[in-house]
Amino acid sequence: MTRFRALVKKELATLFASPLAYLALTLVMLVTALIFFDHLRIYNQILFLYASNTMGGFESDTIPDHINVRDSVFFPVLETLGITLIALIPVITMRVFAEERARGTDELLLTTHLSPGQIVGAKFLVTYAFVVLMMAGSFVYPAMATVEGGIGAEHLLAVFVGLSLHALGLASLGLACSAWSSSQLVAAVASWAVGFVLWDFAWAGPFVSERAGRLLDALSMHPRYGAFAEGIVNLEHFAYFAGLGLLCAALSRFAFDWRRVAG
Amino acid sequence: MQADALTRRFGDTVALDGVSLTIAPGEAFGLLGANGAGKTTFIRCLTGVLLPSGGDVSVDGFSSLRSPAAVRARLGFVAETSRLYPELRVRGFLRFAAGARGLSGAAREQAVERAIERFALGEVAKRLVGHLSKGFQQRVSLAQAFVADPPLVIVDEPTSGLDPLQQEEVRSLLRSLRGERTLLLCTHDLAEARSLSDRVAVLSRGRLVAVGASAEVLGGPDPLALFRAGAAA
Repeated sequence: MTRFRALVKKELATLFASPLAYLALTLVMLVTALIFFDHLRIYNQILFLYASNTMGGFESDTIPDHINVRDSVFFPVLETLGITLIALIPVITMRVFAEERARGTDELLLTTHLSPGQIVGAKFLVTYAFVVLMMAGSFVYPAMATVEGGIGAEHLLAVFVGLSLHALGLASLGLACSAWSSSQLVAAVASWAVGFVLWDFAWAGPFVSERAGRLLDALSMHPRYGAFAEGIVNLEHFAYFAGLGLLCAALSRFAFDWRRVAG
Repeated sequence: MQADALTRRFGDTVALDGVSLTIAPGEAFGLLGANGAGKTTFIRCLTGVLLPSGGDVSVDGFSSLRSPAAVRARLGFVAETSRLYPELRVRGFLRFAAGARGLSGAAREQAVERAIERFALGEVAKRLVGHLSKGFQQRVSLAQAFVADPPLVIVDEPTSGLDPLQQEEVRSLLRSLRGERTLLLCTHDLAEARSLSDRVAVLSRGRLVAVGASAEVLGGPDPLALFRAGAAA
């Protein structure tokens, strides 16, 4: 435990010594704010149009039910944020293993008393903690919408858990890509590619059988994330993200063994 | 340390070809060879970073193949270039190095202070590793390898990339460590090997071409001929 704790402390120190961590935190909050205010602006414009005489004299109480903060701001923000995270998370994860390898410090780690499993565990843990911190910061704006949107605290918690699990799933993919590459750029591009492919397989539906389509749908991140956004908390969705994390951790661990063999 | 017919291939290239070698406890041993002779591959097999394609290498009776953790627990490693974390402060980095070797609390602090004193790092202990001169970085690298007092220390090209003054500084540090513990020094510098090692082995093209007392092996009229021996074979 002492060795693992020492590595976790080192990982935190190197992460927060780098401007990348602060840049990523700022970037995610900025992007989330922009997405939120853009949707809020559009929502206000729609309200204004419905309320104006030029629309045929609608009264404000004739605004259709589906034009509300929940459906016009909250959900679209989460949808856009989900896709944006696919692009943003690899910026954090690309350096985690690849930088160690490029610097040659991976050999330094491997010649201490740390096992490859502990190295992978510590790196996943610190990255996960950072991603949850990022999500907490970015969640302020969607949460603000609930003041007007009539979404309860339980629903809001489900949304935060869903957002965090989605981000952690993407982080797991990014870490696995970083573990298999010495180049941060290659790791980032691979994470983007895998993230976008895994986001939603709905596009493949028309090209495959119904059974294969159902299977592909089960592999997609989007329906899981969408369920949490709707306030549906299902054990199956937790299992999906936990499985993804474990698979990526195992792949990262296997990268160490592979390097011992391949050199 | 004992290597038995240690072999390592990368595809069709044979980087190490049946190397057998024994280093006695407390000995300062020099592993010599030209660039690409197989020295670093030998060290990487010894530290468990690489799996041998054949044969085995063991430390204190523990095989790096079957018990890599037990081998790692008995060694300190100084890499060819200072492979450090430039964003960490010297004391913080040494705390990590000690913690990663299982030291905690007062024992860790004592080990760190001992290493700082031993390698004269007091004046730079609060500075970032990346802001240090190469000479100081190499001292930090040595300090992290010695921090947990391992019985075997492997030093790969310790003076590579240093200016003559820094080279002398590092050599004098290594000289002061002789006899204290087993030292495996990997170098292509003949003078360095002669002055720091009790015994040496010469690798050429992955093969062991000479082994013996350093004065004996390197005392001939043309010791460089040993470097070329494998190439001619």
